[in-house]
Amino acid sequence: MTVLREGALELTLPNGVQGKKFDGPSHGLSHCMKAVDFILEEPDRILFVELKDADHPHANSRNRKAFRNQLYSGVIVGDLVGKFRDSFIYRWAESAPDKPRGYYVLLAASELDKAMLLILTEELKRNLPVEGSTPGTWKRQMAAHCGVFNLATWNEHLPEYSVKRVVDDQKGS
Amino acid sequence: MSITRIQLENFTVFEKMDLELSQGINVLVGTNGTGKTHLMKVAYSACDISTTKMDFAEKLVRVFLPSGGALGRLVKRQKGSTRCTVDIHRGSSKLGISFTNHSKIPDSAKISGSKEWSSIPVESVFIPVKEMLSNAPGFRSLYSRREVHFEEIYADILDRAYLPALRGPVDQSRKKLLENLQKLIDGKITIKDEEFFLRNAQGNLEFTLLAEGLRKLGLLWLLIQNGTLLEGSVLFWDEPEANLNPKLYGPLIEILLELQRMGVQVFLATHDYVILKEFDLLCEDQDEVLFHSLFRDEATGEIQCSSKREYLQIHPNAIAETFADLYNREIERSLGEKTK
Repeated sequence: MTVLREGALELTLPNGVQGKKFDGPSHGLSHCMKAVDFILEEPDRILFVELKDADHPHANSRNRKAFRNQLYSGVIVGDLVGKFRDSFIYRWAESAPDKPRGYYVLLAASELDKAMLLILTEELKRNLPVEGSTPGTWKRQMAAHCGVFNLATWNEHLPEYSVKRVVDDQKGS
Repeated sequence: MSITRIQLENFTVFEKMDLELSQGINVLVGTNGTGKTHLMKVAYSACDISTTKMDFAEKLVRVFLPSGGALGRLVKRQKGSTRCTVDIHRGSSKLGISFTNHSKIPDSAKISGSKEWSSIPVESVFIPVKEMLSNAPGFRSLYSRREVHFEEIYADILDRAYLPALRGPVDQSRKKLLENLQKLIDGKITIKDEEFFLRNAQGNLEFTLLAEGLRKLGLLWLLIQNGTLLEGSVLFWDEPEANLNPKLYGPLIEILLELQRMGVQVFLATHDYVILKEFDLLCEDQDEVLFHSLFRDEATGEIQCSSKREYLQIHPNAIAETFADLYNREIERSLGEKTK
């Protein structure tokens, strides 16, 4: 069973699912391309995963304020879209297997209620854009589906990919 | 002095309700039929008689409009003979009324504390859900001369709106509020022959041709301009979101928060998530906002209230629950599509 870690959050993968940290030193192009945190490969689909931990126990008020500014200014969706598209291009250049792609975003922030998560999910769907929102001339799709979660709704809807907070961590994400 | 507490027993939908209030803004949430408007109407009636000196029972009948004017119909419906009591507190001053379900006329009610209550009059305004200013011409004279089946809040709001501008210079905080509202409605409100107009560079636009949401903001402009909403007054607003574009909610909540900072006590009932969230986002540390969640207790079936200062602590929150349901269904659909 693979366990991936981003800051104080730990993602456990189910058996049979391959996963790797994508936004790390081996990326090599972080100076010019954005990257999602993890890429997971299931037998019939690929999942791009981004974790943002505003509730990190060691996050200071400046980090929290920056997150809140991103959230309420609408910048966050653009940032999430950028990470997805750059990661998609990177994987295309690698000739990675072409399977339907999902994009799951975990925003660990206690202030995010389900109304805001719904709004963010819809914004992300519109802006990626996901299948169904793309022009009829497109023969291939970048994203099949997506969702924005907080810690509770992630574990509620994706129990096979459980995420927990590791409290002894000293580093921020 | 603002309203500090409302105690109700066997009144309309309430078996027993004891509500401590904020001196600033009181936001009432709850599903239909949980008594949000009733709470505001009973408190408004109490405020209004402090200036008009009208009999409290008479005012309740005019505001609630029970069938046949029978006061007893305001008693919570149940088998047998029932007595209801209402106590409205302003600090140590208390206005009380008590009557039974057999009370046919206002005279049969027992009223206490009205003399002391009226010795300190409090200005109040009730803005109903339905916009009234566009129907104003002739309405007041019709209402005063004939038995028309309108709750008195509709006639009262017109009385307030028709008041002429306050004498003397306008202080800075009021001036700023008026300017903010003028920007939103793109003009000022004028009255000619009982008819309301929006006046701007293009001329005078009658209210019947003005978007309904803007009419409400125009009414708020009038109430601030004519000094009805000053320090020590109380504003009751039923569903301010009705007919208003959500983009205007933020500026509107800013204005309500500013009125509160000027010393106006505000009550509003809402069904809207954006209104609640705007309060959550715009509220500053010194602001006094209290959220009252009215709900039907599952075990007893009676209406209860949970009051919280923090938006996220509102529970139950019928509005957020609706969004939660939508979110869950959206995510399930989205995750369901993964296997297609």
